[in-house]
Amino acid sequence: MSDFLSAYSIQSWLESCPQGYLMNTDYGHALGEPEPQAYLENDVLRNDALSTMTQLVLGERCALAASSGLINCAPDYASKHFLATQTLDEERHVEIFTQRMFDLGVKKDELESTLNHYGNPHLLKFAEVLLEKVDKGDFVAGVVGQNIVLEGMAFSVFEMLKAVNEESNPKLAQILSGTIADERRHVGFGENRIGALIREFPERKPEIEQMQKEMTYHMLATFAEAFSDREETYEESRRVLGTGEDSQAMWHGANLSALEPQEMEQVLADTVLKEFKVRLGRIGLDYQSPATPKAA
Amino acid sequence: MAALGAPSEPHSLEECDFLDEVHSFDFWLQAVEGYLLDTKHGHNPELVDEPLPESRREALITALCNYCIGETAALEASSGMIGYAPSRSIKIFLSTQVVDEGRHLEVFLHRLRELGVEDPDAEILQRANPSLLKFKDQLLEYVDSKDWEAAVFAQNVILESLEFTVFQAHAENADPITRQILMAVIKDERRHMGFGENDLGRRLALTPHLRPRLGKIKRQLDQLVMETFAGTLRDTEVPPDEQQRFASSYLAAVARLGVDL
Repeated sequence: MSDFLSAYSIQSWLESCPQGYLMNTDYGHALGEPEPQAYLENDVLRNDALSTMTQLVLGERCALAASSGLINCAPDYASKHFLATQTLDEERHVEIFTQRMFDLGVKKDELESTLNHYGNPHLLKFAEVLLEKVDKGDFVAGVVGQNIVLEGMAFSVFEMLKAVNEESNPKLAQILSGTIADERRHVGFGENRIGALIREFPERKPEIEQMQKEMTYHMLATFAEAFSDREETYEESRRVLGTGEDSQAMWHGANLSALEPQEMEQVLADTVLKEFKVRLGRIGLDYQSPATPKAA
Repeated sequence: MAALGAPSEPHSLEECDFLDEVHSFDFWLQAVEGYLLDTKHGHNPELVDEPLPESRREALITALCNYCIGETAALEASSGMIGYAPSRSIKIFLSTQVVDEGRHLEVFLHRLRELGVEDPDAEILQRANPSLLKFKDQLLEYVDSKDWEAAVFAQNVILESLEFTVFQAHAENADPITRQILMAVIKDERRHMGFGENDLGRRLALTPHLRPRLGKIKRQLDQLVMETFAGTLRDTEVPPDEQQRFASSYLAAVARLGVDL
């Protein structure tokens, strides 16, 4: 175990992250890279960007609370070291996504009310399920919920957003690129560390699978709400940014530029669930299908 | 994070912006880049260990084992405080402290292995200073009970001042590799102490009735701190006549807050 965990040491993190892909960046993007003017001038685009950023900030706040809360109950020093780096990664994500909200014109004293306004209630439920396990000091369930379910979802959402924004918003695409690199590390730790613990405590499987089922339900409900009634926003976005069928925002075989909101939701949900099944299988858990949530 | 260089001058900022700046990830990164770049496990990788006499090696192992206990306490305390930190910028600062404390623990454990300790966990258990273990329990009790002022005081003022003083004393007579490790750790501790003094200083200015409460906590912890202090300075072979100088330095750090009543 200690050999593979050495890849998750603070020394490795220092060399690969702050002294690697984050060098010469400012809040996760190239120094001086501006927010595209269209997002500042067009209310539809700005509201859409704020809504998206809100979910990212809330998700990262949950990840911060979970990773910091798991340090005390980690069973070995190497896991504590990794979770220390993850804590700072998650807080950096909170910071850079919050900064983008400021860049979009949100004043500092309006931040919390803006988050309340745009926050998706299903995402908050998703966070509650995870943080309940963390508060109880349940390391195995906490790491599965955080590093497999939450991080797995974040990884795919960030990848999809990056693909959509690659041409129209290079600043956001670069911010996401750094967070994706972090999330890949977090998911890797979850898979590698937890497999051994699940084998050690097989009696925990049903309870942890139930948590995964609940979190997955709230995740799909979050997606359903996020993609509902979005036709006008998509149309306006394609009109202003010039993205559409001619653009090639390819992701998992789909041209995202040409998809309707519900089609995009389907691609995202299918991708995340497929990844869940693979990752859960690797650590010896069986994916549990939740009921299908209704769109708001 | 900007390229290498000194942190931007924050003192020209308004108070709110100042706190956001000095608690930020960017500020932390610019600070640590200056002394961690090109190091491995806290020291220049080309530095070669000098042979240590057995008694000195033994004393160093005991000191490092107790540093690991102190750093584990700080890691668990700072991570536990994030959940109820009173502002976003303080959460950010504490996240940087979490990774600092995790790094200290990692480099001290690595140093133990460099010195030939095969099972650091067992060695730490065997060589633990009982007073330090009691201090750790008390600190984590404050953290678990979500008592912000008591936790910041015990962790960022008392524990950090204790570590700062001990590491400074030890660095003066340590072997070259241990000295390099300690010098970088001391720079982190200075930042953590600054946060504690700043945060509690502001709170004390607004709520003076906090002062006797913190004074009471200090008196409860004093004996544990002094016993830990004496044991660790002995392990680090600080001459007896020098020990008083370092004890005074620790007491001065606590007294700066005016709670030494």
